[in-house]
Amino acid sequence: MHEMAVTQGLLNMALEHAAGRRITDVYLRVGRMSPVVPSSVELFFNHLSQGTLAEGARLHFEIMPVEMTCTDCGQQADLTEWADLAPPVIMGKALARGCACGSKRLRVTGGVAFGLVSLAVEEREE
Amino acid sequence: MTLTVPVLRDITEPNSLLAARLRAIFRQHNVLVLDVIASPGAGKTALLERTVAGLGRELRLRVIEGDPTTSIDAERIVAAGASAVQINTGAGCHLEAGMIQAALDQLDLADADVVIIENVGNLMCPTGWDLGEDCKVVVASLPEGDDKPLKYPMAFATAQAAVINKVDLEPYIPARAARLRQNALTINPDLAVFEVSCQTGAGLDAWFDWIRAQLGRKRVGQPV
Repeated sequence: MHEMAVTQGLLNMALEHAAGRRITDVYLRVGRMSPVVPSSVELFFNHLSQGTLAEGARLHFEIMPVEMTCTDCGQQADLTEWADLAPPVIMGKALARGCACGSKRLRVTGGVAFGLVSLAVEEREE
Repeated sequence: MTLTVPVLRDITEPNSLLAARLRAIFRQHNVLVLDVIASPGAGKTALLERTVAGLGRELRLRVIEGDPTTSIDAERIVAAGASAVQINTGAGCHLEAGMIQAALDQLDLADADVVIIENVGNLMCPTGWDLGEDCKVVVASLPEGDDKPLKYPMAFATAQAAVINKVDLEPYIPARAARLRQNALTINPDLAVFEVSCQTGAGLDAWFDWIRAQLGRKRVGQPV
C-alpha cells in the first residue's frame, strides 16, 4: 500500500546518483522481511519514471534471506534448512530452537532492508 | 557504453536520518516517546484514554494520533483530558518521521513528559519506519486470536512492550491470554507483557508503572 511513496523515494535517489545521465538498470536488494513487494515497486517505477532519465530502466531485485543473530553470544543462526519457508515461520522455528549456546534470544539482523545497490547509466557523449 | 554507479543506500534512509534527529530533540527535552502499533480495533485509542485518565494528573501526556481520514480518535483523547495532534495519513498505512516532525509544530515539548504516538491500525507497515521513538508498544486484543505474534512476528520483535487487551472476554472466546503471552515471549523474550481490559480497567496499573519506570530511566540517561 505504501509502495508508490517508497518507489518515488527510490526514483529520486536513483536520479540523484545518476547526475543527469540516462539510467538503464537499477540494482536493488530487498529483504524477505522488508516492508515492500518487488512486483509492486516495479509497477510503480514504470509509471513514475515516465518522462525522467530513468524511463525504461530495468529493475533487478536480489532477494535477501532472513538472518537472525543471538543477542547473548553474537552467533548467527544457520537458517538454511528453512530458507524456502515463509519468513514468520522461519522466525518461529529459529526462536523455538534457540541458539547453539542455549539462549532463546535471537534478533532479526538481516533480510529487512530495501536498498539501492547500484545503477547502470549511459556514458555521457564527449 | 554504460557505467556502473555504486550507491549502497537504504531506501528508507531519509526517514531514518530524520528519525535520528527527532530522537535527539526528544532526548534534549527528556521526553519519553512511545509508538503504539496494533491492528484496527485492538484498542489503541481505548488504551490511551485509560492512560490519560490514569496518569494525566501526574504526568504531562501528549498524544499524536495517526488515522487515515477522521479526527474521531483525537477527539476521544481530548475528551479524556489530554491534548492531541491529529495526523491524517489518507491512503498511507503507517506514520513516517516527517509526519511526526510536522506534528511537533503543534506540540510544545518543553511542556511534556511523555508523547504517545498512535500509529495507523496495521501490524506490518509501521514496523519498517523509525519515528524517533524510545519504545514501540504493540497492542493485541484477545478476540483477534492468540496466534497474532506468530503471524506478525516483526510487530512483536521490534516492540519493548506488548499489551494484551480485552482479557475480560476470555470466558466467551477460544483464545487464551496465557497462549498469547507465551507466543509473544517466544518471538521476543525481553518483552514486557501486560494483560489488561480497557473496558473494566483490569491490569492497567502495571502498564502505568512501566511507563513511569521508562520515563525514570530516560531522565537519568539510562537505555529505555
